[in-house]
Amino acid sequence: MLYNGAKLVKKGYYMETNLVLEGIKFMGLGMGAVFLFIAVMIFFMGAMSKAVHKFFPEVQPNLGSSSKNTQDINQQQKVVAAITAAIKHHRES
Amino acid sequence: MKFFIIKLLTLLMLFSAASYANTDSVEASAEISTHKEETYKTQSFSEMISGFITSTGINAIINPNPNEMNAHGEPMSDFHKGMGRVIMILITFLLFYLAIAKGFEPLLLLPIGFGGLLANIPIANMAGPDGFLGIIYHMGLSNQLFPILIFMGVGAMTDFGPLLSNPKTAFLGGAAQFGIFGTLVGAVALAEYTPFFDFTLQQASAISIIGGADGPTSIFIATQLAPELLGAIAVASYSYMAMVPIIQPPIMKALTTDAERRIKMSTMRHVSRLEKLVFPIMVLVLAILVLPDATPLIGAFMFGNFLKESGVVDRLSDTMQNALINIITIFLGLAVGSKLAADQFLVADTLAILALGIIAFSVGTAAGVIMAKIMNLFPGNKINPLIGSAGVSAVPMAARVSNKVGMEYDRTNMLLMHAMGPNVAGVIGSAVAAGVLISIFK
Repeated sequence: MLYNGAKLVKKGYYMETNLVLEGIKFMGLGMGAVFLFIAVMIFFMGAMSKAVHKFFPEVQPNLGSSSKNTQDINQQQKVVAAITAAIKHHRES
Repeated sequence: MKFFIIKLLTLLMLFSAASYANTDSVEASAEISTHKEETYKTQSFSEMISGFITSTGINAIINPNPNEMNAHGEPMSDFHKGMGRVIMILITFLLFYLAIAKGFEPLLLLPIGFGGLLANIPIANMAGPDGFLGIIYHMGLSNQLFPILIFMGVGAMTDFGPLLSNPKTAFLGGAAQFGIFGTLVGAVALAEYTPFFDFTLQQASAISIIGGADGPTSIFIATQLAPELLGAIAVASYSYMAMVPIIQPPIMKALTTDAERRIKMSTMRHVSRLEKLVFPIMVLVLAILVLPDATPLIGAFMFGNFLKESGVVDRLSDTMQNALINIITIFLGLAVGSKLAADQFLVADTLAILALGIIAFSVGTAAGVIMAKIMNLFPGNKINPLIGSAGVSAVPMAARVSNKVGMEYDRTNMLLMHAMGPNVAGVIGSAVAAGVLISIFK
């Protein structure tokens, strides 16, 4: 009974406004705000990436990988040397 | 000598006074205990048994107590006191089944289900203001603390690298929010043109946020705009998130051609650590400037992410990703479960919420896919429309679904990392949508 009364009050309050029209207004505002935010975010993401790459270039991607490669080669050479030394030692003994 | 005797006498007097005071308190306590004894009447054994029977759960269900109030101190119908509770307890068993046997978001559905089971126990009144579920609810859910803390943990688990390497995919995350606002219109249309449902704009907004596919955001909005619908909204939100692998693929396949599903996307560029570190601050500043109402969610999210990317507070970021989010998940689940009380869940509105929720999900998925197709009309790198569906948040489930559907058509096409971009953008998008709804009703 009480709940029904509350319902009537609600209905009466919104009677003069078309709820669907209100909903469509919300949709326009909401989607507009979401897209505006995302668009601004994308713009600043691009600008920020460019700025970071220009002013604080990361040394890791180019130099890092090449140094890793030379390290790897060094490591491999060491392993090969160790194996040949071991084989030589084995044969001699 | 005389002086000594005086001293002794005063000492004795002090003692006697103290002991007198003592006996006073003893007498007082004796009085209280006699009072207690007076209130306890001896009962015959048959009286005790009948008293015990009236306090059993069976009796409470069969003969509802006319004076019993619900958690808000309002009267409720006999159905909600009796059979309604039994039905709700069976529904929580269904949630257990879905969580354990079907693997539907067990981390949340189990605490929610068990909270619901406890909340529907008659007499104990655990969901009331003095019950432990009610205390947990008031501790962190009615004031929106728990969803914010969950967002911190989610932020600490998120990697924005895929989004930063291909920023334009963020539009897909924005488009998927159409699910929210499309459903909002649907809900108010239901209220306007059918006699069965009567949603206010606040309630319609709280329901439609299910389309954001983001549990914490749904709870955040529901507690603010329509706390009476919280239980149904949270259950719908989390169970649909778990059903993403079932709901999304048919929509994705219906809206794309075979050739589109086979589009291979260019490999991603490397994202430097500094970019990842600046990004959370940048988004937060944008939110501050554009939409301060969204900053509680975005601020917590970016705080977690910033700690993770800073790389110097691994202990804190580790706590947020594991211990903190796990503890809060338990509390959040129980608190949401307390809203599964029969008088709040077994109403016609719940059915409408479940129906509108799945529509919101589907519309969001479709909007993301269609947005990807629209973006492919413009020159530039082509986007595989299958990643559009990941624009609904549901991290990382939606991205995995995109990957899986892509692999069905081309085993070598790895879309997972490409789909993570719109996926995390979807989280930001739903937080913005939530901020807009809050700002409207302020």
